[in-house]
Amino acid sequence: MSETEISPPKFYNKIFEWFCNQDLYFELQGDLLEEFEVNYHQKGIKTANRIYKKEVLKMLRPSVVKKVKTQGQLNNTAMFRNYTLVAFRNLSRNKLFSAINIIGLAISMAVGLLAITFVSEINSYDKFHENRDHIYRIVNTRTNLGQSPQEYATTSLLTGVWLKENSTVFEKVVPVLNGFNGNIKYGENRFSVRGQLVGEDFLDLFTFPLLYGNSQTALKEPNSVVITENFALRVFSKKDVVGEIIQRGRDQFTITGVMQQPPSVSHIKFDAIASLKTYEAKPSRARFFNDWGTMWSSYVYVQLGANSTIEHGQEILDLLAKQENAKQKAYEIKPGLEALTDIFPGSGKYNQMGTVMPKENVNQIVILALIVLFSACFNYSNLSIAKSLKRAKEIGVRKVAGARKNQLFIQFVSEAVIVSVLSLVIAFFLFQLIKPEFLALNSYTSRTTTLDLLPRTYFYFLGFAILIGFLAGALPAILMTRFKTINILKGVTQIGSNHKLNLRKIMIGIQFTLSMGFVIIVTLTQKQYKHALNFDLGYETEKIINIYWEERDITLIKTAFEKIPGIEGVSASNFQHSTGTLNSDIAKNLEGTDSATVYNNYVDTEYLNNMGHRLLAGENFKAEGPTDQMVINETLLSRFKLGNPNEAIGKQLNFYDKNRTIVGVVKDFHYGTIYNQIRPFAFLWDSERYLYHVNVKVTSNDMPGTLAQVENAWNEIYPEYKLNSSFYSEDIKRTYADLSSSAKTFGMLAMVAICISMLGLLGMAVFTTEARIKELTIRKVLGASLSSLLSLLSKSFLTIFVIAACIAIPSTYYMFKNLILKNIEYTIDIGFWELASGSILIIIIALLTITSQTLKAARSNPAKNLRNA
Amino acid sequence: MKGTYLGEFQEIVLLTILVLEENAYGVTIQDEIEQKTKRPVSRGALHTALTRLDEKGFITSAYGGATSERGGRRKRYYQVTNLGKSSLQEARSIRDELWSRVPKIAFQS
Repeated sequence: MSETEISPPKFYNKIFEWFCNQDLYFELQGDLLEEFEVNYHQKGIKTANRIYKKEVLKMLRPSVVKKVKTQGQLNNTAMFRNYTLVAFRNLSRNKLFSAINIIGLAISMAVGLLAITFVSEINSYDKFHENRDHIYRIVNTRTNLGQSPQEYATTSLLTGVWLKENSTVFEKVVPVLNGFNGNIKYGENRFSVRGQLVGEDFLDLFTFPLLYGNSQTALKEPNSVVITENFALRVFSKKDVVGEIIQRGRDQFTITGVMQQPPSVSHIKFDAIASLKTYEAKPSRARFFNDWGTMWSSYVYVQLGANSTIEHGQEILDLLAKQENAKQKAYEIKPGLEALTDIFPGSGKYNQMGTVMPKENVNQIVILALIVLFSACFNYSNLSIAKSLKRAKEIGVRKVAGARKNQLFIQFVSEAVIVSVLSLVIAFFLFQLIKPEFLALNSYTSRTTTLDLLPRTYFYFLGFAILIGFLAGALPAILMTRFKTINILKGVTQIGSNHKLNLRKIMIGIQFTLSMGFVIIVTLTQKQYKHALNFDLGYETEKIINIYWEERDITLIKTAFEKIPGIEGVSASNFQHSTGTLNSDIAKNLEGTDSATVYNNYVDTEYLNNMGHRLLAGENFKAEGPTDQMVINETLLSRFKLGNPNEAIGKQLNFYDKNRTIVGVVKDFHYGTIYNQIRPFAFLWDSERYLYHVNVKVTSNDMPGTLAQVENAWNEIYPEYKLNSSFYSEDIKRTYADLSSSAKTFGMLAMVAICISMLGLLGMAVFTTEARIKELTIRKVLGASLSSLLSLLSKSFLTIFVIAACIAIPSTYYMFKNLILKNIEYTIDIGFWELASGSILIIIIALLTITSQTLKAARSNPAKNLRNA
Repeated sequence: MKGTYLGEFQEIVLLTILVLEENAYGVTIQDEIEQKTKRPVSRGALHTALTRLDEKGFITSAYGGATSERGGRRKRYYQVTNLGKSSLQEARSIRDELWSRVPKIAFQS
């Protein structure tokens, strides 16, 4: 029998060794081993092990356990007091450096706080539901014949009905139908409402407690509605309104419950939820419930039964899909299950309920915040390492007095933590300052987040500050504890080798690469945005005011506006070009041999003139002409090989189930955005039916006066409705809001990054000149010129900048091409200056920073500098 | 006389060491007590008692040679000092004296 086989339980051996007093360990361990061996031979391994374990545990008594060093603990509090004192003394001695560190950290921490608040709010979405881990949403992947599959958050109500009848896998099945938005009427007053129609188990599945009413029965009957606390207050000015009746369209709804105001962090947002039974009773809505393909605005939420798994759920869905997909060939739908907690933040599915923050946005913000934070930590580390020589004596004395390495480490790290907690205070104010800016950044943030501070957020903040302090302080602390006592006390000035210097250079290099990268991205994004706003669309948008009006009595408005002096023309169209809306259908030639997707818009007879489209051949629509008139663009001409513009006039294409005659050809223009290439396009003539937008061309010099007249004219026709008008240029601006919000985000980060790196550089410049003041003075005394001193000090920095620029320019260019320009068809030309200007600007600012310090040193009195203090 | 007070378990340990003569170390003492008193004794409890006895000066100890059977750990042999012996004597005489005064009738039920 080998030795190893009869060793006692290892783990117990280990803990015994750990807690046992060192002086007793060998004796006691020996006795235990001997006993174990005897037991092993007499009673077998199991009993021996058991006895051994018991023996070890019984060793846990004061006489055996290691003595805790109570004296050391007392000392620690005293030492911590000392560390704090020394830390504050150091802070106040080096005011400039402290300010640089604190301000730099504060700026970046403000960004960090933003990210923390944002991420913790986003992650708390839908977490308040008690059954959250068992709730799933049924999502559809739909493939229309001949097209690529698309993912939808919606599914047909048929799925819900079928699951309820045919399966026990799901404990609860709750269909939800969008369609309780609009106005409701109570008495004579109208209130806008947002809501859904939901299945009867809605309140059972989700955790939305009722203040009044019975949650079991509230949604059982048709025409019942449950409203939220706030909505009740808005409409009735009181909360207990069960039994009241409100009117929506032709339907009357009885209020059967008032819900405690749902948290804002719910992906289902509503003022009121009505029973879906209301629609089940109506034959006109039957299609919603029995058609597999009608899946555009309905959702089905399910809860898995106690003994079912997702696989069971998927099986039953696949069964249903197989059955239904076999009934037709036009499309195929594959249903799947999505966990409730995966809905928000989510992936880019179509038809989400409300606005869903894409996961990528969250990741992007976290990554950018991390970059900025690291930059600020670098600053602290850099300056502390630079300053460490000055504190070498202190370290030496502490070591001689008996400080251990880990005590010194704790000292320097706690200094950094003190700095970061001080920064937290400033960061908090900065955070409050930038919060509204961040919320207004894009529609995602403004619609889904409030950035309200919860008690736990404050804890996150504090923890975050401590973490940052630790990260920033760890590196210098490690380096400083490594100083050799004997060298320090001998007064060796060059402590440590050159590699620490290189580490500092690398950190500065990284900071400058980041700053340059951000600046370049801002320059390019801004330019692309300007380009999108200003590039030649091929028609006029200047001085055009668009009025949205869907009641269709366009002629009335047109005649009223045409009378106003200063208005040159009034036209109408189905939608506005260049604002993101597109409309298309398949067009075929009459022989049926060729077909292509053709984009189109309905316009009236004045439109082409009013918007300044250039006709190459043929003529404008004629009001008295036939309804099948069509004006096409050049691309359509060449796509269907219709010859030159003049030859095309009079030819016909089948479009929207109708043979349409080409009456004119216009020059190619950008009907879409910069994200779309110009493809075949046709204007279709319409007099009234599809015209929702009125375009007013104003040429008067008194713009406000004319606008006021337009409003007056409107108010005469429709006194009860507000004029909904905007300049065309504003509409286009709104279209490119995503670009401008990227530019804003990067702009803000660029500012932060530059601030931080410049602060760091200033600190380094101050330090270098201070450290080399004697050398500089001697050179000066010996006749060195100011410029040679300057180049001496800035040479090493300049190398870093050039290397940083060499890294930043190509990598940013690559990133910009692949991230931002990926989907854009009409991009800016990126030349040398677009890329280099940012870097050059930063280098110039940086050199100015260094120069200011060198000049100060070079101009000071040599006698003062050379005298030993 | 807190310092020289002899607890019941400590008394048994002292006596056991005397019984074992030259061979009194942790394992043998533990075994002996377990056999004679028929109650389980943990090594830890024994250690505590030995420490107390040592503090009072009732026992001394010395390390013996290492043996392979205990993983090379040396044994620590215990001996009762004269002070220990006299305190045992004293404890015994107190008991004897008390026993002698117990009326015989007390054990007749």
